[in-house]
Amino acid sequence: MSINADSISIDLNGRSILNDVSIKIHQGEILSVIGPNGAGKSTLLKSLAGDIKPTSGAIHYDNKDISDVNIQERAFTRSVMSQLQAIAFDFSVKEIIEMGWVDRGESTYANEFENAVMDVVTKCGVKDLIRRNFNTLSGGEQRRIHFARTLLQLWRPSDSSDPKYLLLDEPTANLDITYEVKLLNIVKEAANDGTGVMLVLHDLNLAAKFSDKIVLLDRGGVVKIGTPSEVLNSKILSKIYDIEIKVQEDPLFITYY
Amino acid sequence: MNKALNLINLNKLHISSKQLFKLNVFVILCAICFLLACVNGSIAINFTDIYSGEISDLTKIVLLEIRLPRVILAALVGASLGISGAALQGLFRNPLADPGLIGVSAGAALGATLVIVLGSNFLSGFMLGSFLLPLGAISGAILVIMMLYMLTKGFGYQGVTYMLLVGIAVNAIAGVGIGILTFISTDSELRGLTFWTMGSFGGVTWPLLIPAIIIILISVASMMTVSRNLDLIQLGEPEAYRLGVDVKKLKYKIIISCAAAVGASVSLSGMIGFVGLVVPHLVRLFGGVNHNYLLPGSAFIGAALMITADMVARTMIQPAELPVGLITSAIGSPFFLWLIFRIKRS
Repeated sequence: MSINADSISIDLNGRSILNDVSIKIHQGEILSVIGPNGAGKSTLLKSLAGDIKPTSGAIHYDNKDISDVNIQERAFTRSVMSQLQAIAFDFSVKEIIEMGWVDRGESTYANEFENAVMDVVTKCGVKDLIRRNFNTLSGGEQRRIHFARTLLQLWRPSDSSDPKYLLLDEPTANLDITYEVKLLNIVKEAANDGTGVMLVLHDLNLAAKFSDKIVLLDRGGVVKIGTPSEVLNSKILSKIYDIEIKVQEDPLFITYY
Repeated sequence: MNKALNLINLNKLHISSKQLFKLNVFVILCAICFLLACVNGSIAINFTDIYSGEISDLTKIVLLEIRLPRVILAALVGASLGISGAALQGLFRNPLADPGLIGVSAGAALGATLVIVLGSNFLSGFMLGSFLLPLGAISGAILVIMMLYMLTKGFGYQGVTYMLLVGIAVNAIAGVGIGILTFISTDSELRGLTFWTMGSFGGVTWPLLIPAIIIILISVASMMTVSRNLDLIQLGEPEAYRLGVDVKKLKYKIIISCAAAVGASVSLSGMIGFVGLVVPHLVRLFGGVNHNYLLPGSAFIGAALMITADMVARTMIQPAELPVGLITSAIGSPFFLWLIFRIKRS
């Protein structure tokens, strides 16, 4: 089971953003997308999420073409976190998290609602925040709450075997190092439980530490796909990022000047 | 049946028991206002007299043919302005959206005016007469919302003030239209037109009221079905879509229901300002911002407020009558200022 992009190209306003990109998000695996600004990372994530239709090529959710998967089913299969928007009204933090709950109309599943929310809140360590007004939180705290919401969207009873995928665009932006690592550890845990994960990351060291596979994008095309030690190579990175980058192997560590 | 049960069950997930309790209080409040408004007026009626059946024919006619339709109309108009304000604020993600401020009511008034002035020449005695006025008003309202849709690139968020500026322009355009129609109208038509500027519930009769009841109840019910989606769209349209909300369908549903509710209201009562703005904010202050609570809450509080405002309008300077719009504007405009300052501060 996987989410696939099969040689997709995307043109927006006559400009080519992605060109013949093929990737697979496997269950239980963390795939990180790295690359310089304007490489098409976010566009790739949006097209996999179903926001943007590829100009050519196809997106498949578990071997089904995405256009045959209705939006409720998509919501139940994958959850997405990307740039945040301001919220006009004073929702409580708990209400924002609960927005991740996708109503399915099955009462047995609905009965798990309170459990699921508490589960996610505990896992993300945001219990102290849930009574607060969301708009009074700091940017980093808001991001952690949105992350909890994305997790709730994929919450399943422990005996469930539904395929599920997390697509996260810069999940660690605005987070201090404590929560950066905590958040990625939760992502790792989710992957170990069988969730397929796609991360868009700027920090190469985080990508090196947490990914099973890395895709290096540049100007809309795939430069290299492989394990972190295959992709993170001084020569390739220096060329793509256009600065001097040194990669130290075992443990993998990247320095840039 | 099963599906309906599930719907109720699921809706309970997104409303707290405290909020349910508050909604019950609102209903009771609404009922009390309703009863008080029925017995108070230039001819006072005693509860005990009604109960014992000892009322004169005159009182009976006053109650059944004049007061009851008037109070019901006030309740309906209050409910539809309140819930439409709440739904539009939710859809636009803008706390200043109000059917009056953004020009929807003016569009409806223009539509209704067109029917009165131009329609009377060749449509008198037309079978659907009592439906024609609300239909004209609804068309006007839809036209304005469609225009807003285009000007805001599909209700995309353009900042709080942008929509108000558009509203000023729309109100001005509708004002010009109504002005021209007033100028070419005959004296008797003119009398029918004047009340549109300030609004009034006087002179309503059952035949005029029944189509409005039908239209308003259907549109309120239709808005209630998307309350959860209005919560989700607060995260932004792409996020709501990713959570399984058919955003386009949601927009159309809200547009058409609001236009129908506001149009039907304006066609019978004229333009009554600020109710759609003030009521949702009051309801939010009482108990929360989630739409499962906010939409019904705004309908009940809107109804209670409007019944009371009308009661004050017709009893304060007896035997004369104040325009009810004067009272709602007197309460609403300072509130509007306060709201602007509050938004500016945050």
